[in-house]
Amino acid sequence: MKFQIPIGPQHPALKEPISLRMTVEGEVIRDADLRLGYNHRGVEKLAEEKTWIQNIYLMERICGICSHSHATCFVQGAEKLLEIEPPKRGLYIRILVAELERVHSHLLWLGVAGHEAGFDSFFMYTWRDREVVMDLLEMISGNRVHYAINALGGVRRDLDEGQRNKILDSLDLLRKRTEYYLMIGANEPSFVARLAGVGYLSKESAIDLCAVGPTARASGIAQDVRKDDPYAVYDEIPFEVCTADTCDVLGRTVVRIKELIQSYNIIEFLMKNLPPGEISVRAPRRAKPNEVVSRYEAPRGENIHYIKSNGSDKPERLKVRAPTLANYAATVEMLKKGFIADIPLIFAAIDPCICCAERTVELVDGRTGEERVVRLSDLRKTANERRAPSPLKRIWTWPL
Amino acid sequence: MTDADIIERLKGELGEKVLEITNPSVRRIFIKIPSSQLIPAVTALRDRFGFKYLATISGLDKGETFELIYHFGGEGINLNLRTEIPRNDPHIESVTPVIPGAILYERELQDMFGIVVDHIPDHRPLLMPDDWPAGNYPLRKDWKFERPEEIIPGGKK
Repeated sequence: MKFQIPIGPQHPALKEPISLRMTVEGEVIRDADLRLGYNHRGVEKLAEEKTWIQNIYLMERICGICSHSHATCFVQGAEKLLEIEPPKRGLYIRILVAELERVHSHLLWLGVAGHEAGFDSFFMYTWRDREVVMDLLEMISGNRVHYAINALGGVRRDLDEGQRNKILDSLDLLRKRTEYYLMIGANEPSFVARLAGVGYLSKESAIDLCAVGPTARASGIAQDVRKDDPYAVYDEIPFEVCTADTCDVLGRTVVRIKELIQSYNIIEFLMKNLPPGEISVRAPRRAKPNEVVSRYEAPRGENIHYIKSNGSDKPERLKVRAPTLANYAATVEMLKKGFIADIPLIFAAIDPCICCAERTVELVDGRTGEERVVRLSDLRKTANERRAPSPLKRIWTWPL
Repeated sequence: MTDADIIERLKGELGEKVLEITNPSVRRIFIKIPSSQLIPAVTALRDRFGFKYLATISGLDKGETFELIYHFGGEGINLNLRTEIPRNDPHIESVTPVIPGAILYERELQDMFGIVVDHIPDHRPLLMPDDWPAGNYPLRKDWKFERPEEIIPGGKK
């Protein structure tokens, strides 16, 4: 006998509107279905009516956590179309912000994973350390969320010596904390027991379903745009692609913690080798008719923009594929055969709540398996009827 | 494998299916094929060239035709498979038997351009609301957003 449990689109425990329909048999999920579009804002259509410069700020507002990744992906493509080459110092600062963003996004994810696993002190620790990164980002760009550091042809703000030292000092603290998290994430018995084996995604299905980012890397696929298709200055920065072969939530946690350490190394390299010079060049207003595919490794995976210009100051077409969309097909696969209690963990950052999901009560006759939807008033009536023949009689009536 | 090697192999193995191959910048290859050759081409790319990862499918309204671009990744190269279908009869074969992860992108194409994807395993709307009027495809160039007239319940008529 199978039930369908709807979760979302609007749900107290969901941070973003998405509709999930779980077909469950007892505690086991047999099938999962997704319905998207509750937050569809028509950005691609709107982008066709905005100029190249306006679009930077539009792209930045696609996401509130990885805002820099969409803006950078767009700017990289637009710079190719406008035929300009940003100066090295500008690229270094751009990549610095990108890596700091990755650090803050991964720390945020770790906290949410800890919270979903019932390990709230982990959540509080990681989110406290995340404040260090947020302060750095505010110091560099003036903002905590939408940094607006990108410009066509470089970046908008320069770094001075004091800021560089502050970043290097903060890295020492973050490194120490992250090593501690790696020790906890990989060794703490109750935490490991909760995460290991949950949300299994085999390497073959990860390839078939085109998974990206840490989800794919935790299934043993060494796929990272920064390495495969180096953009900006990644070809001169030494770093490793972190993978795990456990194919579960534990692997995804370990991959993200290892990536944090790689990001610290990248930031240290950037700060020690920051070249002098200009931070941006002047960009023309119009782009010749051309097309470009821009790829970027966002904290959640590969971000890809296809941009086509038509000779005017506006794009002809701007296609945005965010990493989360690529991972939905894989998420459905992960949820199958899982337990209801694992949904929040698998969905981690979405964390839905099952107990308050049902608005109507669905009663199932245990013997026949017949399902029917009952209203609250009918339930009350049934309860009263059941109680009527019971030996315990009411001895008073209201009002007293 | 460099871009030039891949292009040589593509020319050899895909033969007459390929209408055009361009290599505008390093690690970017654009191929154009007729829409009838889509499935054989995608299968060949997956099995013989290792392009198993479909990043997304872009649609583009070109007036007379719709252009579809299948963005593949693999081996560090971004390969873009381009095909065109007539606008008055927009039919394309589903690539989900070859690449199951394409399902969301094909559903998105159906919603946004009104392209009919034949043999798609799941044809329900993905992004548009349930009460979205039929025949409205937002990413077509001739579609303009018109704000519906605001009706205040119980207000003046």
